[in-house]
Amino acid sequence: MALIDIEDLEVVFGSGGRRVHALRGVSLSVEEGESFGIVGESGSGKSTVLRAACGLAPVTGGRILIDGKQVTSPRDAAFYRRVQMVFQDPYASLHPRHTIDRVLSEPLAIHGFDRREARVEQALDEVGLGKGFRFRYPHQLSGGQRQRVAIARALILEPKVILLDEPTSALDASIQAEVLNLLDRLRDERGLTYVLVSHDLAVVSHMCERLMVMQNGQVVEQLTREALQARATTKDYTRNLLTASEGFTRDPALQT
Amino acid sequence: MTADPSRQGLSQWLLSEQPASRNQARLGQAWRIWLSFTSNRLGMVGLGIVLILVLVAIFADVIAPYNPLLGGDLRTERLLPPSMDHWMGTDDLARDIFSRVVHGARLTLMVVALVAIIATPIGLLVGTTSGYFGGWIDTVLMRITDIFLAFPRLILALAFVAALGPGIENAIIAIAITSWPPYARLARAETLSIRNAEHIDAIRLQGASSGRIIWGHVVPLCMSSVIIRVTLDMAGIILTAAGLGFLGLGAQPPQPEWGAMIAGGRRFLIDYWWVATMPGIAIFVVSLGFNLLGDGLRDVLDPKAQQQ
Repeated sequence: MALIDIEDLEVVFGSGGRRVHALRGVSLSVEEGESFGIVGESGSGKSTVLRAACGLAPVTGGRILIDGKQVTSPRDAAFYRRVQMVFQDPYASLHPRHTIDRVLSEPLAIHGFDRREARVEQALDEVGLGKGFRFRYPHQLSGGQRQRVAIARALILEPKVILLDEPTSALDASIQAEVLNLLDRLRDERGLTYVLVSHDLAVVSHMCERLMVMQNGQVVEQLTREALQARATTKDYTRNLLTASEGFTRDPALQT
Repeated sequence: MTADPSRQGLSQWLLSEQPASRNQARLGQAWRIWLSFTSNRLGMVGLGIVLILVLVAIFADVIAPYNPLLGGDLRTERLLPPSMDHWMGTDDLARDIFSRVVHGARLTLMVVALVAIIATPIGLLVGTTSGYFGGWIDTVLMRITDIFLAFPRLILALAFVAALGPGIENAIIAIAITSWPPYARLARAETLSIRNAEHIDAIRLQGASSGRIIWGHVVPLCMSSVIIRVTLDMAGIILTAAGLGFLGLGAQPPQPEWGAMIAGGRRFLIDYWWVATMPGIAIFVVSLGFNLLGDGLRDVLDPKAQQQ
């Protein structure tokens, strides 16, 4: 049985003239310990899948099952201990007036964890930030350091599943690799399950065993990493995405 | 002479990039705000005026040379012009105006402080709740706010005082009731821009309750603009209190309230100008002080002003 099962997910924002049909029947399933990628252009609905799964976007149709059990709306505390999310923009995802210590202790206080001091320090160690960072404010940290704090916050409730919403797209190229390696290492150590959203095919093929291509709120196709690397795709859209991801080519005549 | 080494150590401890405890981080943050505030000269003048008001109010008994309520000899000491004996002259009941102004500082400070303590939390609570939840809660709370905003402030305060009965306590309640709607509007506008921020989504995903999110995450971000607004409104609150006093609906005689003192001096404004002018100057200086302080606070606390 899959750990995450999403069946025919429909999401509609707004009503009347401003109605936006963001997801049209998206289905996916992710096994425990797997890393699953979702790629697509801007506005394809890839982030909305994550937001709907964790209750930040309204689900208008379909089912979401975790461990075979349908999630409740609003989500219960057990759900939040099991599924956590890392956001795209590390500059927006940390409260500007809270110290790192508060950011990390608050979830522990909400869920009544013991040994809070030790857990906070351990979480900082695990993401490669020392104790010296504990009482700093976000504005005293760089983008990469903030994203490490966001990862530590997601991990501190010891979840099984981490939803990653373009976790590196707001970071410099050199920092991107560091954060991706950190995510890889944490997954190995803790046996985490990742659902990674990205527009960057290189990131997805590095991180994920399987991936799903989305366009206009619909699934275009599902591929394995090997198929992606061999460019064994059946859909034109995926091929275009692959070509675009190779970036600027100086001489188009060289491309056959 | 060089700076005291222990002081330098303290400043270094406060400004440390790697604070070792919660309190050090908090104090350091406050110290940084203080440092940037001290560089604003007008703000410091405002703070100075407000501090003097507070000190005068605390030590009124020591500072005032005469009794503010009991006058001197009615035959010889009425309506004396300012002199060495009576720095601001005496009024029609032979009371020393300087002593009355000094004791009036207590009433003014009490009005300002109580209104701030009553109105700010109401405004913050209504505004953040309304902005955070949206929907019908927002509609209901904002229509109530609109009703309060639709009345001119002094008129509404007059109506409340008329209903509750004249007196300084009722004036304070009336002013507090009429001054929270702008804070609610402000807090709501701030909340609307905050509530979809990723850090709010993040804490929601940690399973935090709405109360925890509003109190711990939204209110601290609305706080600075509301504090600025309240400080800038202090002048208006003092004037409203003085206006109620002037109309005879605020502090009652013989209380030395500045507005009531102006009302008392109005009858002989031409011949004995100091009776109404001296408390007027006091109102002017204190209002100016609060405005300057509010401007200074805005330069330091307002995140939008900081970015420029």
